[in-house]
Amino acid sequence: MISHRPSPISRHILKGVIIALLATAAGIWTARLVLQKQDARNELSATRFPVARDIQPFELVDHNNEAFNNASLQKRWSFLFFGYTYCPDVCPTTLSVLNSVAQRLQDVDEELRFVFVTVDPERDTPERLAEFVTYFNSEFIGVTGTEPGLEQLTSQLGILHVRVPAEPGSESYLVDHTAAVFLFDPAGRYHAVFSPPLSAEKIAGDFRKMLKAYQ
Amino acid sequence: MKQISRQLSATLLLLSLLFMAAHAVACSAVEVEAPWIREAPPGAAVLAAYMVLNNTADTQSIITRIESPDFRDARIHRTVVEDGVAKMLSVEHLQVPAHGSVTLEPGGMHLMLFNPLRPLQAGDSVTLVVHESNGDSVTVQAPVVRMTDEHDHAHHH
Repeated sequence: MISHRPSPISRHILKGVIIALLATAAGIWTARLVLQKQDARNELSATRFPVARDIQPFELVDHNNEAFNNASLQKRWSFLFFGYTYCPDVCPTTLSVLNSVAQRLQDVDEELRFVFVTVDPERDTPERLAEFVTYFNSEFIGVTGTEPGLEQLTSQLGILHVRVPAEPGSESYLVDHTAAVFLFDPAGRYHAVFSPPLSAEKIAGDFRKMLKAYQ
Repeated sequence: MKQISRQLSATLLLLSLLFMAAHAVACSAVEVEAPWIREAPPGAAVLAAYMVLNNTADTQSIITRIESPDFRDARIHRTVVEDGVAKMLSVEHLQVPAHGSVTLEPGGMHLMLFNPLRPLQAGDSVTLVVHESNGDSVTVQAPVVRMTDEHDHAHHH
């Protein structure tokens, strides 16, 4: 009575082989997923937080003298840049870059918001900011306020702004300031930061990737 | 006759002095290449000028000052970004090496122009006077240019 059916031992081996193959396939598949995710993260030149950060209350005003606070960061992705209008080089360059980002992202199915927050509220009145920011893009928003109001926001983002005399003994002053661009998600949470040197191409490209990961 | 000859020689002397003065300006070892001023939003109190300074001489040239009759003041500054913080530093003088050049460009060195004495728009022209430590100077006209995005930036390199 020789059975043609596989012996229990060979059946066990077969089962083992199948399980091993399945496990290997699952392992490879998982590893690929993880690596792909890591790749996507590595490709960003921006720094994205694993978990977006909530922003504590702050109170400022926009260039139309309307309140600008946490609620003003809701419903749209917001790009924030901190600077001042007495800055002839870095600030106009960055606003030109942000205008270029806005043009590059026109096809994106999201409304975006670009905000220039002054680190020089003493000189940068809403009227002055209105002229300054809308020169670069009519949709851009200028934000100013009180020093404490400004501090409420900048301290949470780790933004430095230091007044220095333009020349020794001079009354006019310059402001050293953090030159990064800060990205907020439509829930008004701090999502990522783009560090200088800034490039419209990189910011727009990174934003598309982050938008994909967010949806 | 004597008087005429004296007058003539005086005139010749004056002419030669004028010629020498003009010659000094024209022969400044420094050439200003592609100067331009970034158009600023209306009402802006500060603007920036950019250019390339070429030294054609065999010796180093020191630029002590660049001024403009169209502004209340002008200072050479350098933008530096340290640990993500942008700063503008005062530049006392520029050293242009023999047969070398120094570039003033966005994000780097620039001439900071304070308080324009007339409204300036793209298409306008501004006079800049570059002074060297040896007393030479060179005067150039710099167009006001609207810089809309990085393409324009690249264009002016």
